[in-house]
Amino acid sequence: MTPEEVTQRIPTYQAINWNHIEDDKDLEVWNRLTTNFWLPEKVPLSNDLQSWANMTDDEREVSMKVFAGLTLLDTIQGTIGAVSLLPDALTLHEEAVLSNIVFMEAVHAKSYSSIFSTLASTEAIDNIFRWTREEHTLQYKTHEIIKHYEGDDPQKRKIASVILESFLFYSGFYWPMYLSSQARLTNTADLIRLIIRDEAIHGYYVGYKYQRNMVNETPERAVELKEFAFDLLQDLYDNEVAYTHDIYDPLGLSEDVKKFLHYNANKALMNMGYESMFPDSVTDVNPAILAALSPNSDENHDFFSGSGSSYVIGAKEETEDDDWDF
Amino acid sequence: MATTLTEEELIQSAKKLPEEWKNLGYHELNAILNLYGPNGEIQFEADHAAARQYFLQHVNKNTVFFHSRREQIEYLIENEYYEPETFEQYPEEFVFALYDQAYAHKFRFPSFLGAFKFYTSYALKTFDGERYLERYEDRVVMNALYLARGDQDMAKRLVDEIILGRFQPATPTFLNAGKAQRGELVSCFLLRVEDNMESIARGINSSLQLSKRGGGVALNLTNLREQGAPIKKIENQSSGVVPVMKLLEDSFSYANQLGARQGAGAAYLNAHHPDIMTFLDTKRENADEKIRIKTLSLGVVIPDITFELAKKNEPMYLFSPYDVERVYGVPFSEISVTEKYYEMVDDPRIKKTKIKPRDFFQTLAELQFESGYPYIVFEDHVNRANPIKGRISMSNLCSEILQVSDPSTYNADLSYDHVGKDISCNLGSMNIAKTMDSDDFGASIETAVRALTAVSDLSDISSVPSIAKGNSQSHAIGLGQMNLHGYLAREGVHYGSEEGIDFTNMYFYTVVYHALRASNKIAIEREETFGGFADSQYASGEYFDKYTDQEWKPATEKVAQLFADAGVQIPTQQDWQELKASVMEHGIYNQNLQAVPPTGSISYINNSTSSIHPVASKIEIRKEGRLGRVYYPAPYLNNDNLEYFEDAYEVGYEKIIDTYAAATQHVDQGLSLTLFFKDTATTRDINRAQIYAWTKGIKTLYYVRVRQMALEGTEIEGCVSCML
Repeated sequence: MTPEEVTQRIPTYQAINWNHIEDDKDLEVWNRLTTNFWLPEKVPLSNDLQSWANMTDDEREVSMKVFAGLTLLDTIQGTIGAVSLLPDALTLHEEAVLSNIVFMEAVHAKSYSSIFSTLASTEAIDNIFRWTREEHTLQYKTHEIIKHYEGDDPQKRKIASVILESFLFYSGFYWPMYLSSQARLTNTADLIRLIIRDEAIHGYYVGYKYQRNMVNETPERAVELKEFAFDLLQDLYDNEVAYTHDIYDPLGLSEDVKKFLHYNANKALMNMGYESMFPDSVTDVNPAILAALSPNSDENHDFFSGSGSSYVIGAKEETEDDDWDF
Repeated sequence: MATTLTEEELIQSAKKLPEEWKNLGYHELNAILNLYGPNGEIQFEADHAAARQYFLQHVNKNTVFFHSRREQIEYLIENEYYEPETFEQYPEEFVFALYDQAYAHKFRFPSFLGAFKFYTSYALKTFDGERYLERYEDRVVMNALYLARGDQDMAKRLVDEIILGRFQPATPTFLNAGKAQRGELVSCFLLRVEDNMESIARGINSSLQLSKRGGGVALNLTNLREQGAPIKKIENQSSGVVPVMKLLEDSFSYANQLGARQGAGAAYLNAHHPDIMTFLDTKRENADEKIRIKTLSLGVVIPDITFELAKKNEPMYLFSPYDVERVYGVPFSEISVTEKYYEMVDDPRIKKTKIKPRDFFQTLAELQFESGYPYIVFEDHVNRANPIKGRISMSNLCSEILQVSDPSTYNADLSYDHVGKDISCNLGSMNIAKTMDSDDFGASIETAVRALTAVSDLSDISSVPSIAKGNSQSHAIGLGQMNLHGYLAREGVHYGSEEGIDFTNMYFYTVVYHALRASNKIAIEREETFGGFADSQYASGEYFDKYTDQEWKPATEKVAQLFADAGVQIPTQQDWQELKASVMEHGIYNQNLQAVPPTGSISYINNSTSSIHPVASKIEIRKEGRLGRVYYPAPYLNNDNLEYFEDAYEVGYEKIIDTYAAATQHVDQGLSLTLFFKDTATTRDINRAQIYAWTKGIKTLYYVRVRQMALEGTEIEGCVSCML
């Protein structure tokens, strides 16, 4: 066959052209995600060892469970969730952004392992991973989400993804934020804050794409999807309440965590362009947690206090002759 | 004028709290400060309530109660919390009266963070760490008793200066004074390292010793031979500066002060050292573990010639320190690269490599984005402004200490062959707003200079003889300043405006006069000057030319009015003539007098804005290892004067540099200058700022901070620090 004949017999492949952007949001999010790139090795987790040693047994157990639960969620998000969104991408740029998300989810999952290996013994780590396999509320939410990731409806996949990124993670995120507001496990909290910074963008972006796709759906289908989103969220919320009680009851924090769940459930709906499910009266999150969540990189710290969660990679630009005109 | 709330006002403010706040703890109340209220207002009352709840829920319950002052002091001495010697210098009644004097001020912490920071990090605690043995007043009295060394007038003055917030000793002094189990009183150490194994080993040992005692340590690695340099004439043997940095980093991680905080260190290198690019690459996020430097701070020493070369876009030559030392007979750091540059380029005996200067500057900027490092020392500015004989070749961990040094030589068993002079610095800062409020500005400065001099006299770091020798000869101190932005905002002046810069100029002009005068008085009283005074520009009178040859006065009416209203006399040319004559005749006691540190912790306790920077945020998020995340309102900030609290990222680098340039001309050492950028900045913007700073005569640059705001749509609603 001549090369011309080959070309005629195979489909046409397109090269990604970043100079022709169809959706500016893709570029904006890509830029943000790449400047936010980080690896867990940058955070001096071992500085938390003293703080870890001073925790009660109950607190240590909560920590282990919380981080194990988060590991499972990030694992499926990296290996199944974000990957399943790739074929539905509207543009090549969206695919590029999603592939970044896939990779960062793997970084997140590995980060929890860094936390475990820094703070706990191998035996304790093995036990807690066994717990994740046996804890049925954890398995239930994982299963519910994966079911839709593996289903054949692209919009439902996005709904599942937003609910995972913007809602399900937060029952776990509560704990390190709570500790950091009391000056405990602060380096671990820095690492979690880096994860939150990423997840906030992931949930927002997938929600945004969900809304973009909605333009092409019929009114009937829009109603169906909205109902589906609220039903799934309600179902997972009920499950999350049980999970929260399981984990936080020994410390008497469950009521506080639930407010945080309400707050984030609303946030997930907002990302999809829907109205709130929970009234303000039940979303009054502990201000210390809310303030600690701020994903801005604007905190102040000195060289005695670790690296903090603020850190970005800058854009390079060469100086011109004019700049040196002194 | 904003004032501190009285206890009664705090109680009233706490009583008026909204119902939903009533059950909150102090951390939650403090966090509300970072969340806007229902009408978009900053909720300062929540922070007041947090400070109050902190005392009610935590401090009062955990403080050891004594029936009398006598019982307290006896208990603390008997149980080896206090040194008896501190008290033995004074009559008993005087000590009790001094406590009464301190308590009569009815001091209250204006912010939650001030109180929290004090009790977490400064107050004396029982050995099990469970209960407090001191209140703020007690710590102030201990500082006064200790630093006054038996001088009762001085002790009384110090109590007032500290408790009224005019003078704040640096952390190591404030924390340790009078305690029996304590670290050193000195903040900061600078060590030379020479090009031999003994000196490197001594450098590491000294770093361990000094970290253990609580200081930050900086080392100058400029003199070390580069990677691939010969050892014993055999080529390609040396592994350069990076392995030494690794050793230092591990040393600092190992040594900590009674577990209080990890040691911290910095390494400086001249821009024309052949290892400069590898040195910088150690801070790359993706650097190999073998060479990656995580916690050691880096500084680069840049001569004028580097800027000239970048301007002309000519190659920038790097010189082998090994060869330079052989050709000139002195270590590389003793050479002015600017002066000898072309001579060294032409000298075939000196091995050299070349890089592109603009690439070098761009790499600097890239790393500053990624890591905030390196600090920069503009060495020619520093040396031109140095009134002391000798060469300044490095700075310290906060880039404000700039002093001359002298190399040590060692025997093979690491004992000293010749004890050189290394650098230490005793710091303390004035609160500009409170000092302007002082009824005797000159006396306030003098008391501070005397207190810092006491720290120098009381320090003898025998574990590092070169430091002990440097201190005993130089009596160097570093009087700093803080709360400039707070003061300007309180007086309705914008930071970096014409009036703001004019004030900075006149304030520092007035301070330097009183600081020199105080040092001159001490020299007269003791009939002693610092070692090497005779060779200084103070002795020749040359230093005073800029003050005697021209008149310094406010350029704006506003600033003239501020000084007049405050009753602060601006020194005249006549005053300077008289001071010059007295200094030339009697000398001054302190080799160095001023240095403006970044002031972290102490500015929270003192309720100041940090150093002479603009605020980083109206409500600052402070993260510290022992505190977690805490929120700090800018001093004097209220819902009506927000416009004067433009943050550092909004203010921009020009105004910050202009402000620092005005201060720099009156400060004999350095000033920590942080540059702030939004995340839209590129490396070119950072380079431009560096060029601007250099052309304005700035001596050193400290961190580069980049602020990234949350992506639109992902922010936390109603968060004060999240909004512009």
